Amino acid sequence: KYLDFCTSLGQSYPGKPKIIRCRSLEKETFSCWWKPGSDGRLPTNYTLFYSKDSEENFYECPDYRTSGPNSCYFDKNHTNPWTTYNITVMATNEIGSNSSDPQYVDVTSIVQPDAPVNLSLETKTSAGIMYLWAKWSPPPLADVSSNSHVYHYELQLKPEEKEEWETISVGVQTQCKVTMLQAGVKYVVQVRCMLDCGEWSEWSSESHIQIPNGESPPEKPTIIKCRSPEKETFTCWWKPGSDGGHPTNYTFLYSKEGEQQVYECPDYRTAGPNSCYFDKKHTSFWTIYNITVKATNKMGSNVSDPHYVDVTYIVQPDPPVNVTLELKKPINTKPYLVLSWSPPPLADVRSGWLTLEYELRLKPEEGEEWETVFVGQQTQYKMFSLNPGKKYIVQIHCKPDHHGSWSEWSSEKYIQIPTDFRVKDMVVWIIVGVLSSLICLIMSWTMVLKGYRMIAFILPPVPGPKIKGIDTHLLETGKSEELLSALGCHGFPPTSDCEELLIEYLEVEDSEDQQLMPSHDNGHPSKNAKRIPKEKDSDSGRGSCDSPSVLSEKCRESRALPSTLQTQDVRDVQENKEGKRSWETECIASEQKILLFNNESTKETTWPATQLPDNHLFAYHSIVDAHKITLSTTNVNITSFLVGNEEHQSQYPITETLHDDMEKQREMENLHSKTDQTTVQVIKNRPNDKSPFLNPKLMDYVEVHKVRQDKEPAVLLKHKENSRKSDKYTVPGTSKEYTKVSTVVDHNILVLMPDSRIHHTSVIQEPAMEMPQNLQQGQAEKNMSYCLTVPSECKRETSGSEYMDPSSFMPFK
Amino acid sequence: AALTPLPPPAGTDPATPLLCRRGAGAAVAAVAGDAGCRLLTVADLFDRVIRHSGRIHSLATALCEKRLPPRDNELGKSARKCHTSGMLTPNGTEYAQKIPREELTHLTLKLLQAWKEPLSHFNQHIEHHQELPDDSLSKAKQISNMVHELKTGVEKVTEKMQSMGIINNSLTGMASSEATGLSISNEANMMSDSDFIHCFRRDSNKVQSYLKILKCRIMPENSC
Repeated sequence: KYLDFCTSLGQSYPGKPKIIRCRSLEKETFSCWWKPGSDGRLPTNYTLFYSKDSEENFYECPDYRTSGPNSCYFDKNHTNPWTTYNITVMATNEIGSNSSDPQYVDVTSIVQPDAPVNLSLETKTSAGIMYLWAKWSPPPLADVSSNSHVYHYELQLKPEEKEEWETISVGVQTQCKVTMLQAGVKYVVQVRCMLDCGEWSEWSSESHIQIPNGESPPEKPTIIKCRSPEKETFTCWWKPGSDGGHPTNYTFLYSKEGEQQVYECPDYRTAGPNSCYFDKKHTSFWTIYNITVKATNKMGSNVSDPHYVDVTYIVQPDPPVNVTLELKKPINTKPYLVLSWSPPPLADVRSGWLTLEYELRLKPEEGEEWETVFVGQQTQYKMFSLNPGKKYIVQIHCKPDHHGSWSEWSSEKYIQIPTDFRVKDMVVWIIVGVLSSLICLIMSWTMVLKGYRMIAFILPPVPGPKIKGIDTHLLETGKSEELLSALGCHGFPPTSDCEELLIEYLEVEDSEDQQLMPSHDNGHPSKNAKRIPKEKDSDSGRGSCDSPSVLSEKCRESRALPSTLQTQDVRDVQENKEGKRSWETECIASEQKILLFNNESTKETTWPATQLPDNHLFAYHSIVDAHKITLSTTNVNITSFLVGNEEHQSQYPITETLHDDMEKQREMENLHSKTDQTTVQVIKNRPNDKSPFLNPKLMDYVEVHKVRQDKEPAVLLKHKENSRKSDKYTVPGTSKEYTKVSTVVDHNILVLMPDSRIHHTSVIQEPAMEMPQNLQQGQAEKNMSYCLTVPSECKRETSGSEYMDPSSFMPFK
Repeated sequence: AALTPLPPPAGTDPATPLLCRRGAGAAVAAVAGDAGCRLLTVADLFDRVIRHSGRIHSLATALCEKRLPPRDNELGKSARKCHTSGMLTPNGTEYAQKIPREELTHLTLKLLQAWKEPLSHFNQHIEHHQELPDDSLSKAKQISNMVHELKTGVEKVTEKMQSMGIINNSLTGMASSEATGLSISNEANMMSDSDFIHCFRRDSNKVQSYLKILKCRIMPENSC
């Protein structure tokens, strides 16, 4: 009943739909289309189900829309090229449903691309043969990213009026050259493509072309561009169209703005084929040129589209030239690159008519991106902060300011940035450091080897004060007498001891002189004559200074020394210091003699042989003064002393001041001989003098003698070592101890004081040459300390000590 | 009625960007800035006016391209005729280098003078065109002011050159040219906007080129 009802209405379940085709454009997606059956006069829904060969599940179509009505689109995710799809379409309405026959789909076998597009045709003539040139593009795809397929193409063509197509297999190229065409016939061309072993696409839309038959005029030429390289002239180029199979002439025509007149190109040759060159005369600025090119053959002519040019704005200079790269290496900073270039030779930038601006670019050789720097109008640029160790490529181009276009890039220039300059510097510094440390090492090594000599050379030992007790200044001024008298020493009886001592000193002094002469001859042969007198006198002066210290020591015990004297002592000490250096060798000889009859040998050794002229002068004065004092204070041989002294006095200043003069020299020689005589006399005299003086004070003498004996070995030893020089001086401790006179007892007895000061022991370690000086020094220091309290009555003795100046004994001769 | 010239904006001395104020007289002379001004050489002044004209040209170009994008072959409208086309100006290197300095200076001034009023008018005119973007409007105004300044600047340079004897005082034609300038500004007002800007751009480039040529002719040692 129901069925009948339906039938009566003409309504029924839908007819069986039919799957028309399934197709993949590029093997990655595919679509299927179906044809609906009858709809049973009711709205019908169509559903596409599919299953894959490996599965039992059924799926519904993922996309009904993309491929249009009655279709299903399987996108990439739903497309598997190695799967066979079982597809059915079911039509459903109110009454019932109906299914299509299943369609089995293998994606690879249903590939069919779309037709190629953009088919273009043109005719060309080469070597008198006409041919057709066809070009096209591969079919566009919805998914642009998968546009890498290789298509095979086929082209078909026929004359318009014919039915048969001529098919040409092209291959994978997208262009084709077709020859053997009939002239003057209009052709129709189509192209299709195929992907791998799929199906051919549809034919593309038809393209038509008229093959020139040699009777036609040429095609329109095209004006490509106009350019002015230097803003003075310009050139235009054109591209000819097909020539219609006949030789074609091209005419370049132009008119200027505001003028009706048409001119022809002034120069076809200069700029090469298919070009027109405008020289300066024909070039106007701020004027628009209307340019056309006319192609003419015997069949007719064709004129290009007009081209308008304002020369001001078509300036494109040549690239800059003379690009130079220079690496600057300043001392303190990092290296930098200096780029310099010249404007293109054509451009006359000096007139101001054309102003160029530059831009440079550079990149490391292996780099991808250029770094571009706009430089402006300069023709030089400094690049800092380049990566060391890299090779850079540099290019420069230019353009006119405000208008025109950039030139081509200049040819590539390469520069290698050195790795690092500091390495070199470091090397230099390292070398310097090594060398200097080497030198230091050698220095210290030699120091160790040569030892104390070097030390002594570099740091000469500070000579100690030697004598105290005589204020030569005071003596000089002659105030000592007054002083003495003021101190009340008038009544002080002259002591034989003092005299004895003085004599002894004199002996020493004289003997010294004798010994000195040869030694000086060795040292200064030429100056011999001059020197000796001086030295002798200075020595004597010094010697005189020594004795007071002994005396002053005597005085120490009894009373305190006035402050004035104390200062005098200090001065003496200082004076002594000055002359110590050159002393040693001279004293050696004297010591030998001293040993014979002297009890104060150590002191004698300490007498300096002054070579400083100032000291000489000073010494002389002091000597003379001392003489006076001696005269005033001593009762012994007053007259003879006085006479002798005065003689001496008169002579000495002359020798002193005028010793350069030859006559004076002679005098000095005389004097010298005199002093020698004196020495002899003194030596002779002395024992005579001594015995009467010393006999009563035998005790004292014995004491001194002992001291001397003690010292004997020491002195001898020293002498020995002096000859060797380098050996160290070893003095027995005992001998050293007696280098000081501690007291004078009863004006006659010398008590020698042991001296165990550390200072001396240290001195002993020094080379022998230094020994006496240091002894002296220590002595003097000691004396000073002792004399802090010298009695006023002893003043006499201290002052009396000044008599000990050997010069005072000169009269004895 | 449309010819009423637009006065320069109040309070701004047109010459200020180019030259120091000297009108204030000796009283201001002690001011440091003024003292520096006195040392300005002709070369400095030239550099300034050249730079200024360059800026004007850039503005004109920008206006040309932005406001009125150049259609290809737009140039070819043969109907275009600039109101200054009638002036005989050097249109090539050789001519520009042969022409006497005085005349070149004079021509430059004449060109600037010829644009002064049309520019003011143009400004007034485009203010009523609402379709113009503000940017273009302000550019046009800026150009107008700058041309005024440039003219003053070039006059100053000319004065200075005359006082230094670099060029002689034969610039007598100025007065008459002002009159002709008025007459040709009539023509200018007839031009279309695009033609107007195009013509101005061209003339601003002319002015700059002339100034450069002048500078290099007078002071060839000065970065030429």
